[in-house]
Amino acid sequence: MHESSLVRSLLGQVETIRIEQNGLAVDEVRIEIGPLSGVEPLLVHSAFSELAPACGMIGARLVIDDVPLSARCSQCGLVEVTLARISCPACGSQDVRIGSGDEVRLQSVTIRQAHERETTK
Amino acid sequence: MSLKTIPVGRDVLAGARLEAAELRTEWTRKGILAVNLMSSPGAGKTSLLEATARHWKGRHRMAVLVGDLATDRDARRLAPLTAVVQLTTGGACHLELPLVRRGLDQLGALDCEFLFIENVGNLVCPASHDLAEHLRVIVLSTTEGDDKPGKYPKAFRTSQVLVVSKVDLLPYVPFSIDAAISDARLIQPALQTVAVSAQDGTGIAEWCALLETIRTELLTTRHAPVHARS
Repeated sequence: MHESSLVRSLLGQVETIRIEQNGLAVDEVRIEIGPLSGVEPLLVHSAFSELAPACGMIGARLVIDDVPLSARCSQCGLVEVTLARISCPACGSQDVRIGSGDEVRLQSVTIRQAHERETTK
Repeated sequence: MSLKTIPVGRDVLAGARLEAAELRTEWTRKGILAVNLMSSPGAGKTSLLEATARHWKGRHRMAVLVGDLATDRDARRLAPLTAVVQLTTGGACHLELPLVRRGLDQLGALDCEFLFIENVGNLVCPASHDLAEHLRVIVLSTTEGDDKPGKYPKAFRTSQVLVVSKVDLLPYVPFSIDAAISDARLIQPALQTVAVSAQDGTGIAEWCALLETIRTELLTTRHAPVHARS
């Protein structure tokens, strides 16, 4: 995965939200990285710290939450598989349905805003 | 000054995924099976397409968008056999949808049944980008080692077909087709497989027949245009 192009796309979406919400600045961006997304959190952090200031987001923090791999074996019902081997560790069945783990989700954006009174129309 | 947290809960790539899904639907409606061909550099994607074009000559129409970092060498190889446009990424290690769209514009009217998008040779980044294909095909050559699938899980997990290429070299290399296939199926149990040699023609008819079957299925299942419209 190309972490820098992902971060560029993320920053664009965050900036849109800041503008929609009349935010003065972005304080925190919280994302979830699925284990099957092919995205390396360390590289996302370094891309973010490089690109965010360039997009005017000075002082914005990136928080990355890990998402456990959610999968269910249709044979024995066990819900645990390993990354490189999508087969059930308990019964060996390969009929395993991946429930999550593929996405990079923007969970929330925390903005700094002027006091409530000033922004409420 | 106060802080306000806005919950979002959206896939960062949702926009790109939606755009790809729309283009895929358009291709389905036109009766085109779009195939994203991925492999390491030198696994034989272009040779496979040359052999495919020869096999289908006069029977099925195809078009190719071929991605490379530089040069139009692959397009020049394919040009005598099929409609083709070279996409040069200028250094980028994979294709993305905007590049594919540019190639489509150059291709003009898409008068074909099979559209191949030959990705940049790379088993990492291309796996993360939906190019609006219906089918993702991974080509693994016998000179690369049969332990590769486990090392590049995403590329194999997101593919539907595994083509083992250069099988004419099997007598000279320590490669087991069975080992490669079983390693890949640990990651993607539903993977369909075909073994080919573009040099001596082994498996090319089988590969072409597989694509024809998948296209027919695409056009007759619920994803077919008739059902999509009803």
